[in-house]
Amino acid sequence: MTTPARYYDGETAQVLEVGVRPTAGELIIFRPADSSIVAHWPIGEIAVLGDGAHEGAPPVLRQGGEARLVIEDPEQRRQLAALMPHLSALAEVPASAGRRIATLGASLVVLVAAFWGIVDYGTEYAAPWLPYSLQVKLGETVYEELVADKDECHGTRGMAAINDLANELARAAGYPHEVTVHIIEGGPVNAFTLPGGILVFYSDLFEQAKNSSQVAGVLAHEIGHVVHHHPVKGIVRAYGLDLLAKLVSGGTSDLLNTLTSGGNILLAMRNGRTFEREADATGVALLEKLGLRADGISGFFEQMLEKEPKDAASAAGIWSSHPPTQERIQTTKRPPTGRPAFSTADWKALREVCK
Amino acid sequence: MGQSGGSPPGGEFASALAQPDLTPSRPVYDGRLGELYAIYLRHVVLMVLTLGWSRFWGRTRLRRYLWNHLAILGDRFEYRGRGRELLIGFLLAVVMLAGWGGLMWLVWVHVFHEKPFANFGMFDIFSLSVAVIGFPLAYVGHYAGLRYKLSRTRWRGIRCGMAGSAWRYGVTATFLTFANMFTAQLLTPVVTVNLARPRISNARVGTLPLVFAGSAGDIYGRYLGYYFLNIVAWLVAIAAAFAIGGGTANEFGLSFDDFLKLFTAPSLRTILAAAAIAVGIYLLFSLLILPLRCWWQAYWFRYLVSHSRAGNVLFATAITTRQMWGFLVLNYLIVVLTLGLGWPWVMHRTLRLIAGELWLYGAPDGASVRQPADRAPGFGEGLLDMFDVSGI
Repeated sequence: MTTPARYYDGETAQVLEVGVRPTAGELIIFRPADSSIVAHWPIGEIAVLGDGAHEGAPPVLRQGGEARLVIEDPEQRRQLAALMPHLSALAEVPASAGRRIATLGASLVVLVAAFWGIVDYGTEYAAPWLPYSLQVKLGETVYEELVADKDECHGTRGMAAINDLANELARAAGYPHEVTVHIIEGGPVNAFTLPGGILVFYSDLFEQAKNSSQVAGVLAHEIGHVVHHHPVKGIVRAYGLDLLAKLVSGGTSDLLNTLTSGGNILLAMRNGRTFEREADATGVALLEKLGLRADGISGFFEQMLEKEPKDAASAAGIWSSHPPTQERIQTTKRPPTGRPAFSTADWKALREVCK
Repeated sequence: MGQSGGSPPGGEFASALAQPDLTPSRPVYDGRLGELYAIYLRHVVLMVLTLGWSRFWGRTRLRRYLWNHLAILGDRFEYRGRGRELLIGFLLAVVMLAGWGGLMWLVWVHVFHEKPFANFGMFDIFSLSVAVIGFPLAYVGHYAGLRYKLSRTRWRGIRCGMAGSAWRYGVTATFLTFANMFTAQLLTPVVTVNLARPRISNARVGTLPLVFAGSAGDIYGRYLGYYFLNIVAWLVAIAAAFAIGGGTANEFGLSFDDFLKLFTAPSLRTILAAAAIAVGIYLLFSLLILPLRCWWQAYWFRYLVSHSRAGNVLFATAITTRQMWGFLVLNYLIVVLTLGLGWPWVMHRTLRLIAGELWLYGAPDGASVRQPADRAPGFGEGLLDMFDVSGI
């Protein structure tokens, strides 16, 4: 049997149209015109580069050499492979593309759903297991970045009062680690939570609050974020979506990542709204559990709404990180009963914590 | 592999120069979209399973398919790169960046840590420094990646390759890009020609070098026409967008607040309206801006191809503005609208375009093109991968 092939000698870019004939011990490559021998390749030294699924015509070569044989006709390749079983890669015919696409497409859908399920729901259970020291390190690093050009307040009695209450609330929720409250001088009227049980308050919040219950309400809300591990969950989900987008785009284009940055913002906002509702509910429950006045959260929101009747959270809709303020007032509304969270002296000290 | 029909551009020029051999031919691409998709989907599935670590091997498989289904003068290209070479390149780039991170940490500790620089944090200095070095490094990676790909490409068993310094290219490209930025893009012909020259002239097939004989002066006239027409087109498009957008809003009696409300609490109607507006804007800009850009790009591509040669082999293309539209705009839309899954389709379309529109005149003297003696790089594309600009 003679197989027509193209022969490249590996030293120059010359092409020879040759015939190939297998014998018991070797492959003979010859010129069909005059039957002159071009090369003898011992059968044990012949290999196929690649396979039928990727290469249009997998080249055949003698190991250790640069010369190649290319047989364009698939049927001729199949016949040669039948005579030389160790060249079976030459005859490989991949499964039909349609079937492979269907199988792989279905697998991809399942994998993406599973990946997202693991990221979205898995963080609910996995976040508490993230080493606490790592959470603290992350939180401290972010905090240092945030306060690099700001002044921190150190009033001893005020700091002790707010840290004591924070830890009492955290213990009531069964949180096993210590929480630390930092106070930064100035505004905005806000507070937030970082990984590792780090709470940050701005001193303007104490000046604007009508009473100590409002501050206790905000503190209890932030402890809600801490005990539900919201900062870590938020980070993991954002990175999860980013990674998924990169993986599904085959890692070949950053175009899709640009698109998903929009999706990531929406996801963060959705997470934000869910987290805020959860923190509101937990905050109120913790205050009630300790027998403290629990009307501070709704009171604080009412005050915010008085100042800004055109509620930004409602106006922003799906782009808002917080639920509408009116909704939050309704869900956190409690009677003004229970003991105050701070003594009069502590509250005074807290209001003067930056002086 | 056979040739399909079609007549070559510049036929009169070919026949007028009967000596030496200027027989026209075109590349042949015989890949199938279904097969390419099967390989791509396997790559994506493995990417999700391995959290991206399989990408080095996935890219290699895709390249093997694309290279070996493209042939010139009846001979297929071969891609002989390995996934582990890409992995090593990536790890080296990681080590390099980690070293840079360490250096920046030392700078921060000894220079910026104390006031008055206290508000300049460690993250700030690292991000800023990566942004500064990232720009030239992306060009270095681009050149080094091209060198790696060529070094793993064979035609007729002969290794291709690329000489020149990737670092020098990175410095030149950065300087030219900034210079262009500061001159309101008026240096674009100088930049494009001077960046194309090293990429083409340093490439070779075995011992056969490619040559680029282009000059910025040749294309300046056309570029200036494009430049000023582009400004006019933008002004017209923006005016038209305001007229149409404002008119529509007034017609529906929409205030700015109504408009905001529509998008913050979207209903199905809002989404449809947004889609209609997006299509309107797309059509407006498609009609005015993009054809102009495609016209320029098609011209530049024709110039680039016709001023390149490999020994006695000349190249030409008659690619039209419309074909460039398909290449630049439709391909972009395919990738965006399919959320990335249309990538194999884009690659398939691109190779078919190359096969249909690139003409070669003549054939190299095979006996005089020899296997190169130098060694190819042992690893590849780390920086390219790191800066996410590698494609396939």
